Amino acid sequence: MEEEKSELRKWQESIEKELINRPEREKTFHTSSNITVNRSHFPSKIDSAYINNIGFPGEFPYTRGIRGTMYRGKHWTMRQYAGFGSAKETNKRFRYLLDQGQTGLSVAFDLPTQIGYDSDDPMALGEVGKVGVAIDSLEDMEMLFDQISLNQVSTSMTINAPAAVLLAMYIAVAEKQGVPTEEIQGTIQNDILKEYIARGTYIYPPKASMRLITDIFAYCSENVPAFNTISISGYHIREAGSTAVQELAFTLANGIAYVEAAIAAGLDVDRFAPRLAFFFNGHNGFFEEIAKFRAARRMWANIMRNRFHAKKPKSWQLRFHTQVAGSTLTAQQPENNVVRVALQALAAVLGGTQSLHTNGKDEALSLPTEESARIALRTQQIIAHETGVSDTVDPLGGSYFIEALTDDLEREAQKYIKQIDEMGGAVAAVEKQYMQREIHRAAYDTQKRLENQEDIVVGVNKFQVGDEQQPDLMKVDEAFVEAQLKRLTAIRNRRNEKKVQELLGQLRLAARGTDNLMYVIIEAVKEYATVGEICHALRDVFGEYQE
Amino acid sequence: MDKIRVLIAKPGLDGHDRGALVISQALRDAGMEVIYTGLRQSPKQIVKAAIQEDVDVIGLSSLSGAHNVLFPEVLNVLKENEAEDILVFGGGVIPLEDVKTLEKKGILKIFTPGTSTKVVATFIEQAVRKHRGEYTGKIDPPKKIDHIGIAVHSLEESTAFYENHFQLKVQEIIEVPEQGVKVAFLPIGNMKLELLEPLGNNSPIHKFLNKRGEGVHHIALAVDNIQERLDQLKAQGVSLIDEVPKQGAAGYPIAFLNPKSTHGALLELCETKKGGE
Repeated sequence: MEEEKSELRKWQESIEKELINRPEREKTFHTSSNITVNRSHFPSKIDSAYINNIGFPGEFPYTRGIRGTMYRGKHWTMRQYAGFGSAKETNKRFRYLLDQGQTGLSVAFDLPTQIGYDSDDPMALGEVGKVGVAIDSLEDMEMLFDQISLNQVSTSMTINAPAAVLLAMYIAVAEKQGVPTEEIQGTIQNDILKEYIARGTYIYPPKASMRLITDIFAYCSENVPAFNTISISGYHIREAGSTAVQELAFTLANGIAYVEAAIAAGLDVDRFAPRLAFFFNGHNGFFEEIAKFRAARRMWANIMRNRFHAKKPKSWQLRFHTQVAGSTLTAQQPENNVVRVALQALAAVLGGTQSLHTNGKDEALSLPTEESARIALRTQQIIAHETGVSDTVDPLGGSYFIEALTDDLEREAQKYIKQIDEMGGAVAAVEKQYMQREIHRAAYDTQKRLENQEDIVVGVNKFQVGDEQQPDLMKVDEAFVEAQLKRLTAIRNRRNEKKVQELLGQLRLAARGTDNLMYVIIEAVKEYATVGEICHALRDVFGEYQE
Repeated sequence: MDKIRVLIAKPGLDGHDRGALVISQALRDAGMEVIYTGLRQSPKQIVKAAIQEDVDVIGLSSLSGAHNVLFPEVLNVLKENEAEDILVFGGGVIPLEDVKTLEKKGILKIFTPGTSTKVVATFIEQAVRKHRGEYTGKIDPPKKIDHIGIAVHSLEESTAFYENHFQLKVQEIIEVPEQGVKVAFLPIGNMKLELLEPLGNNSPIHKFLNKRGEGVHHIALAVDNIQERLDQLKAQGVSLIDEVPKQGAAGYPIAFLNPKSTHGALLELCETKKGGE
């Protein structure tokens, strides 16, 4: 009994120490009835099973959260994914969102940018500026962050195959703003495996892609230490139709592959592991989602400590962003989506997310209008400021159901990971289309259940209303495409062409060898070499992935 | 009759292929030959594949907002290659406004999120059969009256009337929010009475009651192949309220005709075989 007490006391003392530097939001927290809300709650008997499987908040295996005080210290980062049309237009939306109290930026790039084509490439036909902002050269990036100090915000960039190029541009903008690169914060998605599996914006074959990723890890651990160099994403796997278990398993399996690749490239696990971030989906199954987040933390902590022998606690901690599930939004009665989003967001918060994107209610129809983007952000603010759910750490920890479900998800996900290990790891499994097939099967099952009314989607296969009116939708002004093409031509005419070609030549050369590609890519973007030109230079060497 | 051959294609750079894959599988399950192109196909590549594979119909999927450019471009390239006899339909995140524009330009049909794969399969089946001339235009007349719909203020009071005075039994009571109603079915012989009580003030039944009071609301005819029937009616210039069937009370497809075209009676078609009663 003495020892048990001392474990809890030890935890409390460590928190008290932490509080000196990082005080909580309030001195004390209480309910409307003036009942004190404790920092967290524990079983009456703290035994070794509790300590090993669940543990204290902020301690291994982090089932209850990666911080001892969680949202009592600081709310999650409210980070709304945005971007459309031109850099100038998107910059306006960014500044609007920051004015509305958003605390981090998240850049959506258009598909040509994401697949390494300039806006004037024939492959870009019809796609320029559609699902995100069009970035061709550094000039666009400068406009995107106009009047936004890069040491004041953290920026998440949904960019994968050309992540090195966009990160290079971000670094170049910071330098132009006079911000030291040690100070810039943010995340690049940089998760190519899930592109092959579920999202589709790959360029190069897996091996070359993995090399680009480990080059980024190495460069950043030296030069941009506060940047998350990858966001290992289950989000899109789930959107493609996977189950919660598949999302959990495939994401962690991909994570294992990245760690193995980095170690094989000679990096020290404790140098890069603290900069690995995750990105999960916040879906409909309320308790299963909460359990999924908790299981993910526990599994990753064990993987990093036991499988990869990482020594730093920071390397064991799974930090994650959540976006609520776009695929659950309905085109029918779109206002109902506000409620779906709120419930999904609540599950993410109860699961201990580090940052959150809530979807706009009209996103089954088009990009969100300013109004729906605002309601989406307000939804998070209501959860944060009005419900009190952030006043105690892991409020559902110890629930018989949640703990059982957490165990179940972990066990089922481990079966998948074991199977993937036996196939030779995630890269091999991707090449064998294993995960793709598993996801497709689940997606088709879901559709059939929906059509047989075994699953109900309100407003779609039950509770419909006749004669629906579509709300006013956001429209991207097509006129900007012409302006974008003009500026691109102007940049090509204005820059030092000889220097650009020289650097692209160096890049090809480096790509054939083993030098870290980040250095020459940064040089090239500073000379206004475009995303398309840099990616084409690498295509020349690496080739393209064929499904 | 030869199997229907379908090419499902992803034009442009969009990587979201869940819909394309699900539709491919559903059409295969419906007995069609389906070829899926994979991601990132240009309109030229799509048309080339369609001609090579000798398909009856191309299904385009885009969720990136590029549909207004890419879908009509596929039609253009088909024309250039004198392959306009290949039908084209589409789906994705496509606003209603664009749906109308695209259908005007010659895309046969745009299916938006929430459409059941059965509706898609039936639509393609009939469009292709008609196009091939396998569809004769002769359809059997409706077999029977499936039910008579009667608008009432209160299900409780009106079912009591039929139960007490005619000894009819309520088979089931279902909420059908599609029409903003709660309905009670009372079987009588080989048909039914459908009593309709409004759900809320926006219910068409609510409006009907306000305007005309309680009384006969509609007559439902049982048909074998609802889409075929609707297509024929449309071709014959009959105004339809629903051009594509929606899901009715018992889960099977139904559609209403515009009373302006039917000499005053509100007619409902229902296909009781498919979808199972």
